[in-house]
Amino acid sequence: MRTSKLWRITLLLAVLALIAGACTDSGGVPAECESDAFGCVEVGAGDPIEVGTLLVITGPNAFLGQDSQNGVVLAADYLDGTFDQVNGEIDGHVISFNHQDDGCSADGGQSGAQSLVSDTAIVAVIGTSCSSAALGVADKILSDRGIALISPSNTGPALTEPSQHQPFYLRTAHNDKLQGAAVANFAYNELGARTAATIHDGSPYADGLQQVFADRFVELGGEITVQDAIQVGDTDFTSVLTTVAANPPDVLYYPIFVAEGGLITQQARQTAGLENTTLIGSDGMLTQGFLDAAGEASIGMYLSGPDLSAFSGDAAFYAGAFKTAYAAQFGGEPGAAFHAHSYDAANMLFKAIEKVGIVDGDALYIPRTALKDALFETQGLVGITGTLNCNADGDCQSTATIGVYQVETPDSLPAAPVYSEVATLE
Amino acid sequence: MTAPATSSRRLRFERLPLRRIILISLSIAIVYGVVAGSAATLRMGTFTAADWRSLVINGIARGSVYALIAIGYTLVYGILFMINFAHGEVFMSGAYTAFFVAVAFGRSGYLNAHPLVSIGAILIVSMVTSTLVAVILERVAYRPLRGAPRLVPLITAIGASFFLQYTFRGLYGAQARAYPTINVLQGTWTIFGVEILRTQVIVVVAAILLWIALFTFVAKTRTGRSMRAVGEDREIAALMGINVDRTIVATFAIGGALAGAAGILYVFLFNQVIFTMGFFPGIKAFTAAVLGGIGSVTGAAMGGLLLGVLEAVGPNLFLTGVGVPSPNQLQPVVAFGILVLVLIFLPGGFLGAPEEKRA
Amino acid sequence: MRAALSRDNVRAGLIGGVTVLYLALVGMIERFQDRDVITDVIGLGTLLILIGLAGTGYMASRPPKPRPGRKPVTANPALIGLVAGTTAGVLAGAVILILELLISAGVDVRSVLASVTPGMLSTMEFGLGPVGGALILVGLGAALGAGAGALRLLSDQLRDTVTFTLTAVLLMSLMEPILSAVLDGLSLPDRWLYEGGGLTVLGAVLTVVAAGAGRWFWKEREPQRKEAVALLPADRRTLYRKLAVFAAVAFLVVLPWLVGSFISDVLGTVGLYVLLGLGLNIVVGYAGLLDLGYVAFFAVGAYATGVLTSPASYLVREEGQLFAEKGLTNFWVALPFVVLIAVIIGILIGAPVLRLRGDYLAIVTLGFGEIIRTLVLSDWLAPYLGGAQGLLNVPPPPPEALDLRAPQNVYYLILVFCGIAAFVAWRLSDSRIGRAWAAMREDESVAEAMGVSIIRYKLLAFAMGAGVGSLGGVFFAAKIGSIFPNSFGLLVSINVLSVIILGGLGSIPGVIVGSAVLVGLPELLREFAEFRLLIYGAILVAIMILRPEGLVPNKRRQRELHARDAEAELSVIVTDEATS
Repeated sequence: MRTSKLWRITLLLAVLALIAGACTDSGGVPAECESDAFGCVEVGAGDPIEVGTLLVITGPNAFLGQDSQNGVVLAADYLDGTFDQVNGEIDGHVISFNHQDDGCSADGGQSGAQSLVSDTAIVAVIGTSCSSAALGVADKILSDRGIALISPSNTGPALTEPSQHQPFYLRTAHNDKLQGAAVANFAYNELGARTAATIHDGSPYADGLQQVFADRFVELGGEITVQDAIQVGDTDFTSVLTTVAANPPDVLYYPIFVAEGGLITQQARQTAGLENTTLIGSDGMLTQGFLDAAGEASIGMYLSGPDLSAFSGDAAFYAGAFKTAYAAQFGGEPGAAFHAHSYDAANMLFKAIEKVGIVDGDALYIPRTALKDALFETQGLVGITGTLNCNADGDCQSTATIGVYQVETPDSLPAAPVYSEVATLE
Repeated sequence: MTAPATSSRRLRFERLPLRRIILISLSIAIVYGVVAGSAATLRMGTFTAADWRSLVINGIARGSVYALIAIGYTLVYGILFMINFAHGEVFMSGAYTAFFVAVAFGRSGYLNAHPLVSIGAILIVSMVTSTLVAVILERVAYRPLRGAPRLVPLITAIGASFFLQYTFRGLYGAQARAYPTINVLQGTWTIFGVEILRTQVIVVVAAILLWIALFTFVAKTRTGRSMRAVGEDREIAALMGINVDRTIVATFAIGGALAGAAGILYVFLFNQVIFTMGFFPGIKAFTAAVLGGIGSVTGAAMGGLLLGVLEAVGPNLFLTGVGVPSPNQLQPVVAFGILVLVLIFLPGGFLGAPEEKRA
Repeated sequence: MRAALSRDNVRAGLIGGVTVLYLALVGMIERFQDRDVITDVIGLGTLLILIGLAGTGYMASRPPKPRPGRKPVTANPALIGLVAGTTAGVLAGAVILILELLISAGVDVRSVLASVTPGMLSTMEFGLGPVGGALILVGLGAALGAGAGALRLLSDQLRDTVTFTLTAVLLMSLMEPILSAVLDGLSLPDRWLYEGGGLTVLGAVLTVVAAGAGRWFWKEREPQRKEAVALLPADRRTLYRKLAVFAAVAFLVVLPWLVGSFISDVLGTVGLYVLLGLGLNIVVGYAGLLDLGYVAFFAVGAYATGVLTSPASYLVREEGQLFAEKGLTNFWVALPFVVLIAVIIGILIGAPVLRLRGDYLAIVTLGFGEIIRTLVLSDWLAPYLGGAQGLLNVPPPPPEALDLRAPQNVYYLILVFCGIAAFVAWRLSDSRIGRAWAAMREDESVAEAMGVSIIRYKLLAFAMGAGVGSLGGVFFAAKIGSIFPNSFGLLVSINVLSVIILGGLGSIPGVIVGSAVLVGLPELLREFAEFRLLIYGAILVAIMILRPEGLVPNKRRQRELHARDAEAELSVIVTDEATS
């Protein structure tokens, strides 16, 4: 009895001490954290602000995720206004990363997301690379823990369908609905094409994009001659091209990735019957890496993607300082198109942290729900991929300017698009 | 009374040729699918004779590359009875390393000024690299395991395959790269009135020459005879004064050199290198080796060609007519389906012994 | 000194130098440097260089194997280490210096060697610039090589303690994700032990003291302990063994709550591979059929579950009324149907090809794996199986209250599945069927002559393997909830096969250990993801060379192997004699 009484007194004293501590400005937790459903991330004095990435950095799609990861790293670097390979700070706390692999698959997305949620210091996550890693997997796991997930390269429409959308999921990649339709408009109205064929590679990205294109093209009055597909990792696409050439279309649309895209481009030029067919690819191929892989064969073909020239200020920054820093830090040209989207995603995140972070002495508190709300409230943020305006379903390129570029030389990407369309999600 | 009844019923069940029924119906299904599909496709007339011709030529060209890689598999199998799963990476290492030589030549303009010398140099670099990788592979990953159960070297081979792939990714980077254009290889030649891409002609001719060289080597030289002897019976060969280790190294070296050459021929056709490029050709060459009868050099060549042609022609021929969407996506189904059919009727492949000497 | 300057030692040094350079040129040193071993004291990249140099000296100074006809060369191991370490240091330093010279001459080294970055060079040079870096590499090579060689002079007990302690520090640091999760889970503070991803200085010191002292006394008591165990009466020993099994089971049950959600998720994945391994073990380990396409049944299990239960699937979409009414979309109702479907497919696939032997069977099964993957990916079957867009929203197993998608609960699900599979496998291995399989595996013709119906037993093995494999697929669908074709590639088959062979073919504990090593460890190395497969490959090769019988070999097989070893040794001797 006596001991228990002693315990109770000790406990009471301890509680009193805690309350007293909370009243002084050094030890307590801000009221915003108490009221936030998911609490705050507490960044102690001298601690870094930890940002997770969940991108594909192994396997055959590694070029895609590695490139996006580089974009995030550069954004943190430039946070202090210079590319010096030293990460910038927010409220005196330097940015640091926890890089995870999404494996470009549902199971990869799950283990990566689980790994990130187990680290309570993670403020938000930039990812995933592949829609399959996010859809119903990473988006759900992270949303359930109140961690915002901002994807630089998920373009699958399903992710932001209101029925599927997870509350903490956003993306700076444009929805395929915009791009596929824009390409179809371009092909039908500008090129005057009346027949088209499509090829996809079995990835949800390519399959979804070509379907949107085909639907829109038919809606405009065109005819789809062939919709065929290839296997990733294969190199000889002459059979599929012969299939296409058996009934030569005006346009061949293959929104796939660099390696297979390069091969198809080269082999299409050697296929009898496709001499008058216009080749079109999309942002999976809108990279110097693709031009390297396709070589001379790419001249004259069209590639769709974000219209960088529509925002002259940042386009200059992109072509100048950004590309230089990219080459200096990672060697060579960007390997995919989405480093720009991930750079924007990271900056959007940093802006939101600056907005909602509560400085308390040397510590910084970031309320999770407030951070998410701030991210969804992003309007008119000028990035290098366009102006970011997030809608309620997490599409931050709810209005995107899609450009179609024509390749003039395999040595560099075309600077200005030949066609540009401002598309808005309904 | 009941006991004999059950036993006879069981006997009848045992006699029930379930396996045979499945086998026959499967064969009929495949054959019917192939014949009906082909007939329907041909009746549709989507493809012209020229289309078919070009598909077959494409198939022969890629089949030649498979054949050269498959010979490497088959040589090693013939002597060690192991599947060298890392052989595809040996192939990749040569083509990828030679890429940098080609780029250097291309930049200085030497490549198109002296194409023959340059191609020779590129070929040598590729062959030497692949040979080195193959020999080191044997020394580090396989030699310590002579005499281990046969699945063990298969696993080290798989391990070595990952190791090599990611080593070259680390060394050279992750992106796909295109070889510089070699002007003499561009364009077409007209042979018997048919226009054929120069690269395809060169690849097929080179593959035939290499195959003849190898065949002569195995049949005529001392090392070749040692290789056959060691494959026949290692212990007896050792007793006959053959240096087993050296013979095995020689086998790996020859397989590696052929893979290096195949790498350059592959680059002629597809013009691209990436660190994963060895994996699929490796699997396909392995399939080709089995199709032809693993252990047989001639069989590997036949298997390679057949597989190449099947892959090129099969999906369009069998599937277009029956209205299957995206037929070319089903290429592995066609290729492996035919493999199963062949092995059901020829359990040892075309030229292999039906029963293995060592199971 | 002259004895130490032998060609062997210089060669060992060159190998060491090449190893260090290899680590640098594939980018591991730079990437690993991001991770602190001891925060603000030493990074993992630097440590790798040091280990490389010290390891060179340690390996070179191994006591030579006695070989007949060759006089053992004796030299001071410290001197041998010095020679080898210096050689390694000189080689590494020289190459780094050459790279620096090339770069300063304007050569674009990185266009060829992608990992020659300023960061890598600076790590290799310890931040001292090209010349200073080269010199320090030579100096460190000499010092560490000699030091590591000198370890050979210590008593066994002391040397063992030193190496153990150093390994312990490294492991403690690498296990940071697990241990801090455990500490978090127990709501204990962890800041004194770990900071910024590495050990604190205090943590390192404590580890050194604890590991060093513990190992020292453990070694000291070893003889007495062995004696005490040997003296235990038999009934006591069985009692202790039972207690150990009980403790192991209890440990497995509380494990997820100890380690938190991420490690539980990893454990779930490990469990999945244990399950698949147990299934494949029946096919490969018991019946001796090399199956390279086991993923086929895994895929069948996952897709069948998806088709029967996912609201996105064709059956549920179109025939929804019928299915919902009959309660067929329930996971548990679907489960037996899924297994049945897989067994039927297993028989359909197996029947025509089981006559084939060895590698022919391997390639055909590989082919079936690819065929299934291609079919589930295809546009042709997309209306039914989802194609490239996958099957989404597979509901978690009911009842909802159990929340069988949370990592900790999923772990129990797989634990139950594995328990059932392990029990079946264990009972089978000693049954009449198991003996028939063993006979068939050893010699097919003899077994057939003895009246074993080869085809029936092969089909049985194949069908059982298919059933267990599909159970893996069922679990996968339950765990992830989204099924995409690219989860069912050839890599899965290869992984499972590696798991069972690495663990020890035919051994049930081997499957568990193999899965923990090949699936669990790489998950913990996630932050070095781009090197995960490289390390995976290296581990496979190294373990198979060091322990060809597997980590936890099946006893009967081990005997067979050693019989074969003796045979092989004989042939080596014969070979040697023939060549000399």
